[in-house]
Amino acid sequence: MPAREGTYGLLAEFDTPGDLVRAARQAYQDGWRRLDCYTPYPIEEAAEAIGFHRNKVPLVTLIGGLMGGAAMFALETWISVLAYPINSAGRPTYSWPAFIVPAYEWTILWAGLSAGFCMLALNHLPALYHPLFNAPNFRDGATTDKFFLCLEALDPKFDLVQSRSYLEGFKPLSVVEVEY
Amino acid sequence: MAHDSHASSHAKQLPVELGAPAFVDGWRNRALLIGVIFSVIAVILAFLAQAVDPEHLGWAHFLRAWTLGLTLTWGFSIGGLTMLMVQYCSGGKWGLLLRRPLEAMSRTWPLIVLYFLVVAIFVKRLYLWAKISDPEAALRSHLISEIQAHCIAFKRPMLNIGAFWWVSLLCFAIWAFYAIRLNALGLKRDTQGPETIPYWIKKFENISGLGILIYSITMTACAIYWVMSMDVTWFSTVYGLLYLVEQGFQVLAFAIIVVLSLSKAEPFKTILRQTEQHDLGKLTFAFVMLNIYLAFGQFLIIWSGNLPLEINWYLDRIRGGWGVIITLDFIFHWLVPFTLLLSRNLKRNKRRLVLVCQFMIFAVAFNLFWLIEPNFKDAARNLHFSWGILEYIAVPVAMTAFWVAYFCRQLKARPLVAVNDPHLAEILEPEHAIA
Repeated sequence: MPAREGTYGLLAEFDTPGDLVRAARQAYQDGWRRLDCYTPYPIEEAAEAIGFHRNKVPLVTLIGGLMGGAAMFALETWISVLAYPINSAGRPTYSWPAFIVPAYEWTILWAGLSAGFCMLALNHLPALYHPLFNAPNFRDGATTDKFFLCLEALDPKFDLVQSRSYLEGFKPLSVVEVEY
Repeated sequence: MAHDSHASSHAKQLPVELGAPAFVDGWRNRALLIGVIFSVIAVILAFLAQAVDPEHLGWAHFLRAWTLGLTLTWGFSIGGLTMLMVQYCSGGKWGLLLRRPLEAMSRTWPLIVLYFLVVAIFVKRLYLWAKISDPEAALRSHLISEIQAHCIAFKRPMLNIGAFWWVSLLCFAIWAFYAIRLNALGLKRDTQGPETIPYWIKKFENISGLGILIYSITMTACAIYWVMSMDVTWFSTVYGLLYLVEQGFQVLAFAIIVVLSLSKAEPFKTILRQTEQHDLGKLTFAFVMLNIYLAFGQFLIIWSGNLPLEINWYLDRIRGGWGVIITLDFIFHWLVPFTLLLSRNLKRNKRRLVLVCQFMIFAVAFNLFWLIEPNFKDAARNLHFSWGILEYIAVPVAMTAFWVAYFCRQLKARPLVAVNDPHLAEILEPEHAIA
């Protein structure tokens, strides 16, 4: 991907999560869609305020788990019935109770791995660079005690001057322009 | 969320009136009515089955179904007592939420004693080891098999009528002690100020920690005497643990139903948050998993061993039509609650969560039917219809209904919210803190 240039967005800094949630909710109501909240700890209201949406992680986890279970069960069946049929204490070669435990373990394993990798993929991780790291106040505050709202330049409503005054209407500590 | 989140930065106010809402009396009356109706049905069925069924086992089925009812309501009552002790040890907001309903469940123990007395009085009609006083003679007259004769003679020091009575009554005495003590202290705690909280937390932890240990032993003893000993030849070391998990399963399901139904009015309308409802759903899910883990583990070990001593217990419950019941048991008891409780949306939806919990209680009773009925010679490997078998619906429904009525009475007896607890402030806060 070629390096982007220009403005990534406008970053408003708040002191409390309440101020952030109020600003985010208002911005979403005013039609902003390319916006994001950055907080030092999870705030579910912030996610709801900017249009909380479901993602595909649960579905991928379910499919991964089912596939893992089915794969192991099929493998065991193939081994015991077709590849190496062994008479074990006179039991039928297809002895499903004995297959359950490994199949179950693989269900858990594949569900876990699917959830983890799906989460990383949907988050576009690993990412070595993010434009917001250009803002010094973001670097200092985002992981400690400050709450940020970013209106991104990709939003059709974005206008450097008007959007700045719009954000200043929320009485943030500061509004900074972030470059790519 | 309300638009004016300025206001939501303040905690909600606990209502002044903390008593149970008036509709609990309505529940009680409805439960009493159902109890009376099903009692009448149960008696009619017993007479009918005695007269019409070829085996003439009407009253025998009545007693077997009574054991099911006893085990089920015992699970609610003593299981409730144990969950009360667990939440005292673990802490947590879910515990504060459930505390008063669990206390009310634990205070129903006198009714369980009453239910038990019926089993104890008719012990000779329910248990082979009680009926057969001379195994040698019974073997010669082909009443029992050789292995049964051996087991009855060998297990006589434990499986005799005196021990049955005394062990059960001792267990009841211990549970009653814990129920009375915890309930009395629970009320006393609320009369004192917040400065006493550290003292009370320690105090309840100390009582409950030992109580949980003693419960697991006494509960195992009663599960063995009341249900497992119906088949004298069989034993399983995980049996007590299975009942323990089953009690957690049914107690949480029942407690969720109670709490969500109470939330239609104050004070639960104020203190029940979606967060804790979700937590309770997750905890219930854990018990669903633990239950199938133990139940399948027991099956897998016995299936792998394939010993004539052990495997017959399962064959009695799989062959001759019982395969349908064990399959349905698997579906009702694990597959349905597991798949439904996986859903985050369902756990956060009051109406649907209540429906799942009601179904789970039905599944517990269904599982007990599968455990109890094949113990008897006429039913082992031979599932067949008789009028008597319908007692398994009538008697437990009546007994559970009377238990629910008694529970509702206990629920009204004291305020629904324990106030002298640090979690109370947290539970009154908005769902997610906004500074």
